[in-house]
Amino acid sequence: MADLLVADALEKVYGEGASATRALKNVSFTVKEGEFASIVGQSGSGKSTLLNLIGLLDAPTSGTVLFAGENTTAMGRKGRSRVRNEGLGFVFQFHHLLPEFSVWENLTMPAQIAGQAIDAELRDRTLKMLDLLGLEGFEKKNANQLSGGQKQRVAIGRALMNQPKLILADEPTGNLDTKNTEMVYDLFRTINAELGTTFLIVTHDRVVAQQTDRILEVRDGELVQDVRNDYAG
Amino acid sequence: MLSFKIAARFLKSSPGQSILIMAGIAVGIATQIFVGSLITSLKADLVDSAVGSSAHITLQAVNDGATVTGDMAADAAASEDVISTAVPVRTLSGIYVNGDDSVPLSITGGNAEKLDTIYGLSRRMAEGSFRLNEGEAVVGTVFAETYDVRPGDELDILLASGSPATFTVTGVFDLGQAAANERIVFVDAGSAADALQMGDDEYSAVQIQLSDVFASSEVAERLADEFDVEAVDWQAENEQLLTGLTAQSGSSVMIQGFVLVAVALGIASTLAISAVQKTRQIGILKAIGMSDAASGRIFLWQAALLGAGGTLGGIALGFGLIALFSVIPVSFSIRPEPSFVALSAVIGITVAMLSAVIPARSTSRLDPIEVIQNG
Repeated sequence: MADLLVADALEKVYGEGASATRALKNVSFTVKEGEFASIVGQSGSGKSTLLNLIGLLDAPTSGTVLFAGENTTAMGRKGRSRVRNEGLGFVFQFHHLLPEFSVWENLTMPAQIAGQAIDAELRDRTLKMLDLLGLEGFEKKNANQLSGGQKQRVAIGRALMNQPKLILADEPTGNLDTKNTEMVYDLFRTINAELGTTFLIVTHDRVVAQQTDRILEVRDGELVQDVRNDYAG
Repeated sequence: MLSFKIAARFLKSSPGQSILIMAGIAVGIATQIFVGSLITSLKADLVDSAVGSSAHITLQAVNDGATVTGDMAADAAASEDVISTAVPVRTLSGIYVNGDDSVPLSITGGNAEKLDTIYGLSRRMAEGSFRLNEGEAVVGTVFAETYDVRPGDELDILLASGSPATFTVTGVFDLGQAAANERIVFVDAGSAADALQMGDDEYSAVQIQLSDVFASSEVAERLADEFDVEAVDWQAENEQLLTGLTAQSGSSVMIQGFVLVAVALGIASTLAISAVQKTRQIGILKAIGMSDAASGRIFLWQAALLGAGGTLGGIALGFGLIALFSVIPVSFSIRPEPSFVALSAVIGITVAMLSAVIPARSTSRLDPIEVIQNG
């Protein structure tokens, strides 16, 4: 499999001088296409900072992030926006849906941002997504009218709508009960298997991480472990 | 168009706030339309009262006693588009003696139809009819009342040359000015020529009216040069009125300016609040790939929609105020100019758009991480 993401010597320093804090220290790793991996670490370990850097939501102090062969660190804000829209899908702990919009509109938002017309193809893709998410019949409901688990499923659907190469999930089940947590992981696994989408899941929960094929552990801003997990799935 | 769609949805999601700000814009635009139209109409009414029924420019021979010709009137009328009418007249003075009382009169002799184009006498007859056959005259209301002169009466005038003249009064006019209604007498062209011993094509002056009264100074200057005559324009003789009108227009522009500033501040503060309220949504949209420019455009569209809605409401409210004003008994009516209303609409939307620049810029600079990290 080809390299999808290459993080090379990533450093992130907050503040200056004596009050400067090194949140990430020389972190390097590679993620190949189709992987189902996790980044684990305690709160404050730097794992979310790492996710923000590889998700192009933040810029590293030094080091580079190559995504699908492109050096994203050298890109401007516009270029990073384009990669976030076309190449990446985000699933956040707090679903982050747009409360003013319906389920259908939230799902089609990334495609509309990409400039895609609401045509038969997009409608068909959205209906299939609703089917995959188990949310048929919910398309007209406002995002605020859904339960926590349903909201997170819509957020996952939104992340997948532009058929990104990489899904970055930050504590995606942190706010869900056991049943919904299992459902979300089953969904991730199905998408990974059927569509070949790469997953990188950030979690503080080792039980969750044990379900992924590869575990990267971050401690005090350093990548201290990068192991294959043959017991997952 | 996605920015437009999101802007419309944001406005729809806070209907109370959107309606309030549109009402604010509407009041501002209505005030602008009402005050602007009121001052313009008042000015037009004052000017019309002052010079609507008189010559805007009078052409006279440079030398005393010399005359001008009827051809000059025709040539002058043809020389400038702004000249609506040019009438050759014979002017002389006389005295009306009634017992111990006497009043000096300003007598204007000319063709009745042509005089009508300047003075509108046929519309302004209070009594009798406007007709000037040989030996006939029309007098003003104040003169008629003071000396009990009625249509059909004989009017004896002692002319400045010392010779007497008698006219038959055919009508009594009201030019809207007491002085004119007391002193001016219109007589037929032939009688005036006889009294002044003028030939058929000899006249004292050419009286001119313009479609744009404020062009009189420039036109008078050009006509004086072209025809080698003395040209007197109304503005030179009514400086005080003009100073008053200028002051009035200036204060109106100031009022309108302050109202617009208040409207702009209102929109800017509301949009700034809206930008803060929607920070989370903007951050999410940016996280999933919306560009800085597109997210900034959301607030420009919001401002455009608020501006357009508020302006439409303001135009309706402005016309409502004008309709309400027409109920009050005053001497003039407000006539809103379509071009001024259109200008107010453009100003309303432009002010709204300018007010959105700051929130649009702060939105376009927003980093999605600020929102995502804070949940």
